[in-house]
Amino acid sequence: MAATAKPIPARDEPRRPNIASADVQLPAVKDFEQVDREIVGTLHPTVAWFMGLGVAVFFLLIGIATWMYQIYSGLGVAGYNPPVMWGVYIITFVFWIGIGHAGTLISAILYLFRAGFRTTIYRCAEAMTVFAVMTAGLFPILHLGRPWKFFWLIPYPNWRYIWPQFKSPLVWDVFAILTYFTISSTFLFIGLIPDIAVLRDRENISPIRKRIFSVLSLGWRNTDNEWRHFARAYLFLAAFSTPLVLSVHSVVSFDFAMALTPGWHTTIFPPYFVAGAIFSGMGMVFTIIIPLRRWFGLKHYVTINHLDAAAKLCLFTSLVVGCAYMTEWFVAWFSGNEVEQSFFANRIWGQWWWSSAILYTCNMILPLTLFSQKLRRSPTWLFILSFTVNIGMWFERFVIVVPSLSHEFEPWQWTSYRPTWVDYGILLGSFGWFSMWFMLFIKQLPVIAIAEVKEILPPKLRKPHPHGIDSTGRHFEYEADTPGEYA
Amino acid sequence: MQGVLGAFHELDAAVSAIEALKKNGPGLIRVFTPTPRHELEEAIAAPPSPVRRFTLIGGLLGVTFGYWIAIWVSDYWPLVVGGKPIASWVPYTVFGFEVMVLIGGLSTVVGLLINARIPRLTLMVGYDPRFSHGDYGVWVECTPEKARTAEALLREHGAVEVRRER
Repeated sequence: MAATAKPIPARDEPRRPNIASADVQLPAVKDFEQVDREIVGTLHPTVAWFMGLGVAVFFLLIGIATWMYQIYSGLGVAGYNPPVMWGVYIITFVFWIGIGHAGTLISAILYLFRAGFRTTIYRCAEAMTVFAVMTAGLFPILHLGRPWKFFWLIPYPNWRYIWPQFKSPLVWDVFAILTYFTISSTFLFIGLIPDIAVLRDRENISPIRKRIFSVLSLGWRNTDNEWRHFARAYLFLAAFSTPLVLSVHSVVSFDFAMALTPGWHTTIFPPYFVAGAIFSGMGMVFTIIIPLRRWFGLKHYVTINHLDAAAKLCLFTSLVVGCAYMTEWFVAWFSGNEVEQSFFANRIWGQWWWSSAILYTCNMILPLTLFSQKLRRSPTWLFILSFTVNIGMWFERFVIVVPSLSHEFEPWQWTSYRPTWVDYGILLGSFGWFSMWFMLFIKQLPVIAIAEVKEILPPKLRKPHPHGIDSTGRHFEYEADTPGEYA
Repeated sequence: MQGVLGAFHELDAAVSAIEALKKNGPGLIRVFTPTPRHELEEAIAAPPSPVRRFTLIGGLLGVTFGYWIAIWVSDYWPLVVGGKPIASWVPYTVFGFEVMVLIGGLSTVVGLLINARIPRLTLMVGYDPRFSHGDYGVWVECTPEKARTAEALLREHGAVEVRRER
């Protein structure tokens, strides 16, 4: 499934470094045996992993205990201050949905575009998507006064003969997120099948694990027939996921844009939300992949070239988001709408100036450092920047939700908002929930797609050919890594 | 099911063996490969996968169902919102699209399972764990009379191991 083909120079043409394809190559990975050994080798649990899992579960327990307290005491403990009736829960819901988007972008959209650098990072990003959507899906339920009634949003025949209102963006949201979760997890699982077959075939110690892998691999045998249908199904799932990922955050943005609230009622919201989602997701990808490549000894799989290419994507989405911010300011000024102008003045210079300052610094100014190749190729800087991107994008949603609701049309309604310890406890719990699933995933299933990595390695040949195999007229050339650094 | 299995370390050896077997035609050929390769795909020359039909039909059924249920529910419990028609197709497009993706995606998976004949409880005759690891396998389903020809062809083209299976 990986991108491999690239043009080759004629035999007598002088060779030039192929910088454009540098992010495809893995010069330190020599053969299939090495791929299996090193990637499967990451699955053995370590003390550090158990400690990490313990911390994640501890945070999750804090979140659960806080939620129990909220159910017992009522939503009033959550810091809502009418008319600010959307707070940390909706902000965090949008944040986590956004995190998931980069995963689908990397696994599906970049697959359709044959972007080589996705090969070694897409599995992590895809798993991140599934777990982020699982986390996001909790927040609308946490936000309900009676969370046990959440199923009222699902259309099913019921004794009340009442159906959901299909003109409501909240109902669209339910379907968008359920569809997104179903398709993302299906896409993740389908991609995992050949790799689980590798685990099944290499498992010689535990018969229980071997049996589990046998069931999960669905009896996959690597036949040409299976691969033929697999490739087609994978392509169509990627093709479905691509408009889906764009639609899901557009639908989330409709939750805001369909309302008449100042700052929300704008047609720029769908593309603005989608770009912001991908930007925040790229931040989370760096937060996850940079420590993983170090702890798992996978620096020669997720190379500096891969990080460089992903950083360019992060920079691009940052520029799109920055452009959307400036368009918002311009529209507020150009519209001549006093309410809108007053709201924006309050957002930038008024009571919420500090949150806007965090947002613009983290999302518009700091990512500009990625214009520097040196910083794009520095894992340390990318890791630091990923935290500022995550913080900035959480505050972007804060700035969208809270300043608008606290500064609507009627001045007597203008108010403030301060989250309580309950909000913070549940926010912490959401990170625990997400991290717990991710920690479990990285030690049970391969974090790098084994079959796809093998695809980009030069195959063993009986008669080596200067331009790769030519038995069918195709030439897959293997070049030295360029610009040269891979670890 | 009986036949001959040849295991190859090298891709070009497997490709040339497949081409020779196809020319001589001792029986149905099945190839095991750790990763999909265009070279093998072209040597086998299999027809396009019918999974696309499952995707198309699933997508069309999904979008139809999505619009239908939204319109039916609106007529069942008529409620005028913002002076718009009871059955407003524009907002229902969101719902129709989501259900199209959902049903289309799931029917693609069903298409994969049916056509690839998975899940299966037992691995087929001739399968060897090394084929998920790095080697290529060429399985020729043939009668014992034709097995000798198949074995000779596989060895001639560089098979590191040839064995009869049943």
